[in-house]
Amino acid sequence: MTRAIWIAILVALAACAGVLGLKRGGSDLFPHRAHVTKGVSCTRCHAGMEKDTGPLHLPDDATCVSCHDKPHDTRPCLGCHAPKDAIAQLVESRDHLKFDHGKHLTGAATGNCMRCHKGVAEGDAAMRPAMATCFNCHAHGESRDARRCETCHKNLAEEGTLPASHLAHDGNWMREHGARAASSGDLCSTCHKESFCADCHGVTAPVIPAKLRLMDPLASSVHRANFSARHALEARAQPGLCTTCHQQDRCVSCHLARGVAGDTAGSPHPRGWVGLTSSENLHGREARRDPAACASCHGGAGEQLCVSCHKVGGVGGNPHPAGWSSRQPLSSLPCRMCHPNGAR
Amino acid sequence: MKRAALAAIPLVAASAAAEPLRLRGDALATTASPAGLLVLNADGKLEERLSAEAVVWMAGSRTPGEDTTGDVLVIAVRGRSRDGKTNARLGRFVSTMGALRPVHVDGGSVRLRLPHRFDAEAVAGVPVVLGLGTGRAWDWVAGGRVSRRIGFGGSVGVAYAQRRDRGVRASEELGADVGAELNKRTDVGARAAYDLVGEGLAEIMVSASHRRGALRAEAYASQRSPSHLVPATSLFSVIGDVPAQRAGGVLTWRAAPRLDVIGDLAALRVDDDLGTDLTARGRLRLDDKGAGQITGELRRSGVDDHAWTGARLAVRVPVSRQITLSSEIELIVPDDDRRGAAWPWGLAAASWRCADWEAAIAVEASASPEYTRRLDGLFQLSRRWEGP
Repeated sequence: MTRAIWIAILVALAACAGVLGLKRGGSDLFPHRAHVTKGVSCTRCHAGMEKDTGPLHLPDDATCVSCHDKPHDTRPCLGCHAPKDAIAQLVESRDHLKFDHGKHLTGAATGNCMRCHKGVAEGDAAMRPAMATCFNCHAHGESRDARRCETCHKNLAEEGTLPASHLAHDGNWMREHGARAASSGDLCSTCHKESFCADCHGVTAPVIPAKLRLMDPLASSVHRANFSARHALEARAQPGLCTTCHQQDRCVSCHLARGVAGDTAGSPHPRGWVGLTSSENLHGREARRDPAACASCHGGAGEQLCVSCHKVGGVGGNPHPAGWSSRQPLSSLPCRMCHPNGAR
Repeated sequence: MKRAALAAIPLVAASAAAEPLRLRGDALATTASPAGLLVLNADGKLEERLSAEAVVWMAGSRTPGEDTTGDVLVIAVRGRSRDGKTNARLGRFVSTMGALRPVHVDGGSVRLRLPHRFDAEAVAGVPVVLGLGTGRAWDWVAGGRVSRRIGFGGSVGVAYAQRRDRGVRASEELGADVGAELNKRTDVGARAAYDLVGEGLAEIMVSASHRRGALRAEAYASQRSPSHLVPATSLFSVIGDVPAQRAGGVLTWRAAPRLDVIGDLAALRVDDDLGTDLTARGRLRLDDKGAGQITGELRRSGVDDHAWTGARLAVRVPVSRQITLSSEIELIVPDDDRRGAAWPWGLAAASWRCADWEAAIAVEASASPEYTRRLDGLFQLSRRWEGP
């Protein structure tokens, strides 16, 4: 039985190998290694490197047939013998980086393309050298420290390259960024514009950002999918999280606008919310867990409702827990609501 | 402020025209309220060291007689000295300073890079509130952070901020943060904020991740004390400290070049109640660039009788260079079925992109605690302009 399951898994994997990316199209890979071992120099095919302007230095069909005089097909050579994503990578590099092959060919890297294009022999996946490769020769430490990325990058925000190591946006970055971005705010701003933070943390954000990306259900978002149905449950599981972005009166303003609870006709609270016995006093426990939720409706003048019972000598008793302290003077709000004239 | 900001948009645009200027307009129409939303976005560079950005929006209601509303999300000018050692912002922006909570502010901020990799930053201004009001006299926020950079992107820092509402101290926080790349595979980050008025820990977060081959593991923990997060002027700041805690781990496995499998398991504690948050997610890219994707997710989350179980499936398939079809469905089953035994939700969308135009149309159907049945239509049209 176990054997049959393993065989079924292997068959399924084989059948789905293309979809999963396990099977790479053999003809898509350009045999760089074979050319090098035959003694073909890089610039023989990639001509014009010394003047690094204009289009990419990809060989055209004429260059190929100068050696391969009997082509097996009439279609353009690179249509099959180059992976499309590798060419797209080169186009992106040309669009977004300030780079001149010509300067490099006359410097320390003269005649040694592999010094930067280390991965070429292994395939076309790493045509663009990693940033660390640049730093092997170029001492850009000061630029990096000052976040002067435009030394090499034309516009990081438009480039859309994600960090490869530190601050890698993997896993659950939406949750993780709170702990990580705290100490790297200036680094974040090298790619992200002001509105990127304000889309969520801005008090005046008009709509959840996901609504403006309705064609992209896979984009990460705090309030994705059916959040309005879940939000009460999620807020209870993580008290205080909502106030990271939302103002105190957000709950009541939204509920009133949508005509959900919070109106004068009916109470949004369940039975047993307020009572004289502890079994009928759910409100105290809930208020301690998430006071911001209470403050949304009962803030400001609404606080009078609370202190009508929770005052010195009142039936609600002392609202402070044991050992509670504050630096607020008794004459200030909210202390003076219960402690008139500074009375203890 | 709003009118001034709207008037300033062309100014920002005109002044920024020296370098490529980008303008974007998004119009969103829905059958739900607000019925229409127009977002205008402009950004550009005066020169290499001076840039400006503005985002304003206007919303219309489908209810006759209700006013059209609008506001400014961002309108800021950012400048930098030639050597990059001084940065400044002026206008409306979100200020993030280390461990302290982000503040949306009308004001200015400056950052100085000091010798020995030390940095100092300061922000001051008026906290942004919704709409226009005259009761903002003596509302202000001011703070600063001193830090020392570690490695490439990390730093260790201490921050302080005080906020006054109508002249009365509403919050005063001291924060400490650290973040660093320990090596090419390991990152750590932590932040803690202490409420100086109510005298207690307001928030603490810790995260550490490690990558090895196709695996990435992250461990995290957080504690949040809501009573220290409400303004100190609120009565609800005096009813005690009941922190909510969360700790867990995430394992991401690139099972195949186009397939990611993600597991997220966390334990929650709210007061005396314990709960779990368990997510299992699979993400299959249909091409090497990930333009087409299928994501499936199972989740169990919540505490006490407020827990729920859910399943979600999202698909995005580009059918041509211009047209993409997408769909997302979700089913939530709450433990407490008083407001419905199940809350299904679904969205089907088609988008079209051609040159600088984008358009999308979608249908959203759901059943929720609010509506037993609901059907909405959404339409979005976007246009992008790029200057000379």
